[in-house]
Amino acid sequence: MLRSVLACTSISLVAAAAWCGEEIPHPARVATLELEASLAKKPGVYLVLDTERRSLEIRARGIVLDSVALTGIELVAQQPLFGGAAPTTLPLPALWTVESGPGDTDREVIAPELLRPYVSEDEEEEETTEDEAEPRRSAPTPSPTPVREPPTSYRARLDSGWDLWITEQLPATSFWGQLKAAVADGWLRLRGRGPHLSPALAVAMKGEDARRLHHLLRAGMPILLPAALQ
Amino acid sequence: MTTDLRLFAEEPSPQRPQGRTTWVIVAALVGAAVVASGVTAVLAKLGRPLTAMPLLVVSGGGESGEPGRLSKRAAQAAAALDRQRPRGVWLTIDTHRNRLLVFKNGELVRSAICSTGTGIVLRDPRNGREWVFDTPLGERAIQHKVRNPVWAKPDWAFIEEGLEPPTDPNERFDSNSLGDYGLYMGDGYIIHGTLFKTLLGRRVTHGCIRLGDEDLEFVYRNAPIGSRVYLY
Repeated sequence: MLRSVLACTSISLVAAAAWCGEEIPHPARVATLELEASLAKKPGVYLVLDTERRSLEIRARGIVLDSVALTGIELVAQQPLFGGAAPTTLPLPALWTVESGPGDTDREVIAPELLRPYVSEDEEEEETTEDEAEPRRSAPTPSPTPVREPPTSYRARLDSGWDLWITEQLPATSFWGQLKAAVADGWLRLRGRGPHLSPALAVAMKGEDARRLHHLLRAGMPILLPAALQ
Repeated sequence: MTTDLRLFAEEPSPQRPQGRTTWVIVAALVGAAVVASGVTAVLAKLGRPLTAMPLLVVSGGGESGEPGRLSKRAAQAAAALDRQRPRGVWLTIDTHRNRLLVFKNGELVRSAICSTGTGIVLRDPRNGREWVFDTPLGERAIQHKVRNPVWAKPDWAFIEEGLEPPTDPNERFDSNSLGDYGLYMGDGYIIHGTLFKTLLGRRVTHGCIRLGDEDLEFVYRNAPIGSRVYLY
């Protein structure tokens, strides 16, 4: 992370500098640069999911704040076991926005059942003896509720109609793995509990990386997918 | 004696049933296998497992035009991006790892452990009003700096402790909790000190950034007003 922050110059800026030379830039890359320039005008954080370099970067104002290495990228959808999976085309560059994500929904709510009337410190001192006196109340107390550790697998709904699925492990691709998953899913459907999941761009990464992205996937978070040119 | 012999004679031969039992077991196993295969096939047919689909990435989205025009567009976009980059001193705050970094002209000059917001939602039992204890994301700027800051406790500070907020505004002021310095980023978000040093490095705050004494003094002395702060 330190290195990426230290560099502090976004890849697009470096690339842009190169393009400004004699080389003729590819139209898709120019479009990528323009999309990022429009995002960088706003003060918000945005994500850059680079399918070519297999990285997910957290950026703001064109600088890379943090970077996550991806161990896999796949498009996954619920399909019958015996049926061809049609290829899906992903035109890049693309700019997606999170419609709802775990950063919005996966929150703990605390609420005291009843509020006691406030008693000023002066009144309190009069009422209590020295032995009973509590520590000074004006001091903030440590958070009484321990914060839950975010999960390593979760989905965010995107405006493209797809989901972004952050996971530690992509679904099994072997026949036996698929068969096992099909039987398990079939059993759930037989009991009317089968999940209906949107097609998802699944990105696999280390568990710790998945945890630290959890709070960023909230409504309105832009995700830029730059053009991939071989 | 006769009875005993008869009983002995009536005892079944040990050979014949054993062979029959074996056949029964084999037949049962084959039957179970057939049934299990059938059930597996039916369930597999019913199931819709998550399947990886071939993803064809194509480059599009850009109009192909004159090379000169493309180069000009690229240069304009690059310049627009460059204008947005921070200069001088800026701070980054990683709200998951609870790390605050100070950069000066692109070089890291300080790395500090901080505390950030819990992300917990507090609900007022009287009217259902809610507060989200999030450290905000995105860019902010240090708007002003204060020595020995005083905290004007908002309603949530009392409600969280199970108390009704006081009617006398003077009961809200607290000069002990924020440490020696406060760097205000707007909307009530402050970089300040803490009485609870052991909680540094954890998500325990109501959205503010807490720092240890030495780190807070460093940030106060080195981050001028207007310094940008990137929270993520």
